[in-house]
Amino acid sequence: MKRLENLLTELHRTQLEKQTRRHFLLDCVSKMGGLALAPLLFGCETNPGVPKVQGLQLSDRDLNPLSPLPPPYFAKAKSVIYLHMAGSPSQLELFDFKPELVKYNNQPCPESLLEGRKFAFIRGVPNLLGPQSNFAQHGESGAWVSDYLPHFSKVVDEVAFLKAVHTDQFNHGPAQLFMQTGSPRLGRPSLGSWVTYGLGTENQNLPGFVVLTSGGKTPDAGKSVWGSGFLPSVYQGVQCRSKGDPVLYLEDPKGINRDLKKTLISSINEVNKAEFEAFGDPETLARINQYEMAYRMQIEVPNVMNINDEPEYIHQLYGTKPGEEAFANNCLLARKLVEKGVRFVQLYDWGWDSHGTDHDTAIDLGLRNKCNEIDRPIAALLLDLKQRGLLEDTLVVWGGEFGRTPMQENREGKTMGFKGRDHHVDAFTMWMAGAGIKNGSSYGQTDDFGFSGVEGKVSVHDVHATILQVLGFDHEKFTYDFQGRPFRLTDVEGEIIRDILA
Amino acid sequence: MPTKNLPALLSVLLFLLVGTILFFKEPKRVDFSTDVKPILNKHCISCHGGVKKNGGFSVLFEEEAFAVTESGQPAIIPGRPGQSEIIRRLYESDPEMRMPYHRPALSPEEIETLKNWIHQGAAWGKHWAYVPVREPKIPEASKKPFASILGKSPISTIDHFVFQKQIENGLSPSPEEESLRLLRRLALDITGLPPSEKLVADWNGGKLTYDQAVDQLLSLPSYGEKWATWWLDMARYADTKGYERDVSRTMWPYRDWVIKSLNDDMPFDRFTVEQLAGDLLPNPTEDQLIATAFHRNTMNNDEGGTEDEEFRVAAVLDRVNTTFEVWQSTTMACVQCHSHPYDPFKHEEYFQIKAFFNNSRDEDTHDEEPKLRLYSEEEKAQVQKIKTWVDQNSNNEEALAKANFLTYLEPKYHAHLCEDFVDAELIDTKWLGMWHNGTTYLRNVDTQNSDQLLLNYWADIDGTKMEIRKGGPEGEILSEFTIDKTEGRITRAIPFKEIKGKTDLFITASNPKAKPQQSTSAIVWFAFIKSLPGKNQPEYLSIEQQWKDLLATKPVTLPIMIENPDFMKRKTNVFERGNWMLLGEEVSPKTPEGLNNWNPEWPKNRLGLAFWMVDKENPLTARTLVNRVWAQIFGRGLVNTLEDMGTQSDMPSHPELLDHLAWKLMHEYDWSIKSLIKEILISHTYRQSSKISPELHQKDPENRWYARGPRFRLSAEQVRDQALAVSGLISNKMYGIGVMPHQPDGIWQTVYNGESWITSEGEDQYRRSVYTFLKRTSPYPSFISFDAGSREVCISKRIVTNTPLQALATLNDPVYIEAALKLGEKMSQETNKDPGTVIAETYEKMMLVTISESKKKSLLNLYQEALTNYRSKPEELKEFLQDKKVEGNPELAAYTLVANAMLNLDEFLTKS
Repeated sequence: MKRLENLLTELHRTQLEKQTRRHFLLDCVSKMGGLALAPLLFGCETNPGVPKVQGLQLSDRDLNPLSPLPPPYFAKAKSVIYLHMAGSPSQLELFDFKPELVKYNNQPCPESLLEGRKFAFIRGVPNLLGPQSNFAQHGESGAWVSDYLPHFSKVVDEVAFLKAVHTDQFNHGPAQLFMQTGSPRLGRPSLGSWVTYGLGTENQNLPGFVVLTSGGKTPDAGKSVWGSGFLPSVYQGVQCRSKGDPVLYLEDPKGINRDLKKTLISSINEVNKAEFEAFGDPETLARINQYEMAYRMQIEVPNVMNINDEPEYIHQLYGTKPGEEAFANNCLLARKLVEKGVRFVQLYDWGWDSHGTDHDTAIDLGLRNKCNEIDRPIAALLLDLKQRGLLEDTLVVWGGEFGRTPMQENREGKTMGFKGRDHHVDAFTMWMAGAGIKNGSSYGQTDDFGFSGVEGKVSVHDVHATILQVLGFDHEKFTYDFQGRPFRLTDVEGEIIRDILA
Repeated sequence: MPTKNLPALLSVLLFLLVGTILFFKEPKRVDFSTDVKPILNKHCISCHGGVKKNGGFSVLFEEEAFAVTESGQPAIIPGRPGQSEIIRRLYESDPEMRMPYHRPALSPEEIETLKNWIHQGAAWGKHWAYVPVREPKIPEASKKPFASILGKSPISTIDHFVFQKQIENGLSPSPEEESLRLLRRLALDITGLPPSEKLVADWNGGKLTYDQAVDQLLSLPSYGEKWATWWLDMARYADTKGYERDVSRTMWPYRDWVIKSLNDDMPFDRFTVEQLAGDLLPNPTEDQLIATAFHRNTMNNDEGGTEDEEFRVAAVLDRVNTTFEVWQSTTMACVQCHSHPYDPFKHEEYFQIKAFFNNSRDEDTHDEEPKLRLYSEEEKAQVQKIKTWVDQNSNNEEALAKANFLTYLEPKYHAHLCEDFVDAELIDTKWLGMWHNGTTYLRNVDTQNSDQLLLNYWADIDGTKMEIRKGGPEGEILSEFTIDKTEGRITRAIPFKEIKGKTDLFITASNPKAKPQQSTSAIVWFAFIKSLPGKNQPEYLSIEQQWKDLLATKPVTLPIMIENPDFMKRKTNVFERGNWMLLGEEVSPKTPEGLNNWNPEWPKNRLGLAFWMVDKENPLTARTLVNRVWAQIFGRGLVNTLEDMGTQSDMPSHPELLDHLAWKLMHEYDWSIKSLIKEILISHTYRQSSKISPELHQKDPENRWYARGPRFRLSAEQVRDQALAVSGLISNKMYGIGVMPHQPDGIWQTVYNGESWITSEGEDQYRRSVYTFLKRTSPYPSFISFDAGSREVCISKRIVTNTPLQALATLNDPVYIEAALKLGEKMSQETNKDPGTVIAETYEKMMLVTISESKKKSLLNLYQEALTNYRSKPEELKEFLQDKKVEGNPELAAYTLVANAMLNLDEFLTKS
């Protein structure tokens, strides 16, 4: 495999010839020309005009609830790529270097730290567990990163670390819901739903909120982590899959060629047009639009989801293997999707729950393998976005749903065969990069054992407030009326973390 | 202007004239609810309300609004606006003093309203929805202005209310809808399916009056299947437990109960009581116990490392919130943390309501007990026999306890109550696992003086010596026994020393054969149930054997609500700021002050609460039901915010109509839902044409004034069921375990859950959608793209959306292709007719309207292009047909494509 740096030079060279996403949008009409239907209402504009029907006043959103809207305030980012490590990686092996923990390795945890605390599996007095990785400082920012992430270490100057994030949920399902919807209980819209509700999306031929999963499982909390809660269901995340149809029912039934499909959809829409003329229901116009979009989606989605045609250096950069359901492939897809104007791309990678119950969940074995799976792709994603100029208006977020204990897990009081850490809510690390973020910075600190934040503590609501701020929302004013009151992603809390904003 | 509209115009003019005269005659009497409360809610309440009481002033409750504030004076002095601080502060020039603080000032009109209100005495009023329903006067029949439109169509009382509002808003009704289109609308609204061919023929042949058609449709079993979906959304019915592991649970007997009850038109008051408190009725029937599963649809968390008590509490709070959303259109969730910012519900009142729900036996255990054991008839007879035996040999109370235990295995103590483990563990935070020489405590147990312990457990090794002592290691031995290897889980009777009162049990295990840290067994629960009486009788052994056999059988079991016996009652405390770990003062069951009074004859438990809900003085229950039924039919409620009728909700478009129907429902129809539906369906308002002119759209885009008939996209379930019905694929089989129609591979990827989607066989693939297995973390994909929910929480309103994903589903999902093929087969058999005629006839059968020439042309064009394609490309034809495992000619393929298009037409997907 070529060295990353060489790949980057190659990438940079070819990039100069590549189109940016803005160009793509302008080019849309000409590119689609050969394939598209003769549109009954409008062409492939990203912001389709309102049809001129006498006496009928309709907004873009009446016809298409995902049509783009300008953000209410100045926005640094136009799109988001959120990398969620489901199960929650150990901050103590990756980013939060604690020399004191090395010293006290295998000593009983001071009782003062345990008083009044609850853990998912730890019982009684557990021992402290020193970091199982080797740390060094990297980049100009001198960020501490362990040898579990050698490639990521080279791009640390692109990111801003949050070292003292805390949550109040110590079980996966509720904690993932809290991280993604602002509430540990079901029924609230996910971050991606809020954002697509508020901003719509740029490319109507692709879903506005795309979810990609790897690790063989969906997140613990199920599809609700990309659900739309009380928002209309059109804003829920659309899972694009690596196997089978990338979007459900995308593929035509066997024996129906594209031309025939085109005739089929044209006929449907001709009849629908006649229906509109007879009944005058604007819903029928929305229906016509819906079928045109479906037809275009059938072309555009397989194109964007196909990574076979990417140049070899890109595959080397990311470490992608076409045809697999892999985090690396998803990172490359994430870049392709934001490049094409998708608003919110959410990646879930499953398998980070390092309890030490077996080899795969051992903090010194399985965790290292999981890191290998994400290290190169994440570094590649940041570099690739940067070289394409996409990092300027894309926000990248990385994190789990909570952290892991400085103590070694002793499940139900038992000695464990492998080294593991239990769920930990008091302090963990997240990072952000890209649009609006002060790169090469770090905010917040934990105590000597990495147990609790001692300065720069931020809550899950604070993280949400900050993400919304970068997208041009005031999180206190971005509301949706439901059950007789305005609901917010951040409920009644949340402070913007200004220290990591550029 | 045509003279026929003159009467309408005149009445409008008259109305305006009268209004103007009244306006000038005397200053308007200010009404608190409609005039003042909205101003207070908009400008004041966020700082002077339930959450914040700045300056010691709140406008949430009457007593607070007139109380002395931090200034030492009340802010509102009735009759004296000039001396009232609330008014003075609106005029302040100092921005630090002027209210609303640092926000835009009130408009002069708003200030004037507040001043007039105080001047007129500052009478506090109740929000309309909290005032009991009284029979409103029906407006004079106003058919006259619309005589030319209405012709001979009959009008109902609903129309009087609707016409009145139309006149006020300068609108007039539409004429009656085309006959067959109206029949389709009726059938879809009542049964969720298009009308049968027989019904169409009878209707066309004039054999049925409109009323008879409505009655006939309401009597079909498909009525219950259609309306069940509406109720199951609110009941959050699903076939899995939810949360991380989301494994299957048996809930379908509850779904079937809903369908049957709706079909039997069970009065809504009984429907309510049985679901909320069927278990508390005297000698509840099996069906009444099944009904209580309504509140066992709450989720159950099996994730390792979760504390069961936390999720038991979460389920109880969900029951409070759901009950109030379903029956009271009231959002209780905010009151969990603080007094309601807008509505008259106090923080402690939330927990007083919670106290009604806090004493059910369920504890978020893995097995979801208590569960009703659905015995066979023969087994039920055995239960009865044992009951009689105990009654004869002991007493009635004892007999009932035995029968109840056989029916739902309660009361019992779950292993998760054990604590202070030494060399023992709670396996996967669920079951008691004792290692060699392990000890644990099960505290505060009331053994009810029982002479036996029923222990539920399984074990993988032989020879574990167990001991249970009273109080602690030195206490008296209450029971000694050996646990040997079992085949699966068993319930075993173990002799136990009779003791009175509550005690702590100290449990020990020893088994030198166990490996270090190996659990000697997994204990699930402990129950203290006296042994059967009559040991000296000859028949005893046979009775005892039946008892054992019944406990050992594994019938279908359904989670239900069972109340705690007195010795297991939980206390209920306020949670400070909503945090379940911060307990405030203790509270007892009580309904909120602001609503109807409590009748002292009602028991202070869920049953009493249910009686209170369906009391005719409860202002919200009937209004809520009317509003939601109306919305099912018209696509929007008379109060548009279906989930909420509180002070922040939309004002009702037709308040008197809402009350008229609510009154009728309670006092004339005795809570019959079918009568309510029929009342709506026979109105002209319902029967109108759904055509929309641009003018009408501009005046009333949301059809708030019902100047046209309802027209909106069908629900997820209806879209699929209709396609199955018109193609003839549909199965009429009712009830039973959830079915799994075709779904793409790889949809289910739940963690720690070995279950998979196994496509049903035979007719089960074509059952009505209400029977489709619903997995919460991964619902049936085409339903969620058509706005159905995952049923994790109560949903009283589905928001209808349009996305390309829906089009992809109805275009490409194999079930729609199969339906198209079925239709294509029928069409291609009509070889003696020309394609245009075949297409027109099929279209007319599906849509129940005549096809227009232009539409026919479009579809015929599709047919011809497809035909040319398949004639010239036999390999495509082969591929097309092989995929569907049929043989046929290009005509079949071409007609199938036409049918595929017809299944996707707006007029097919829409109720119009």
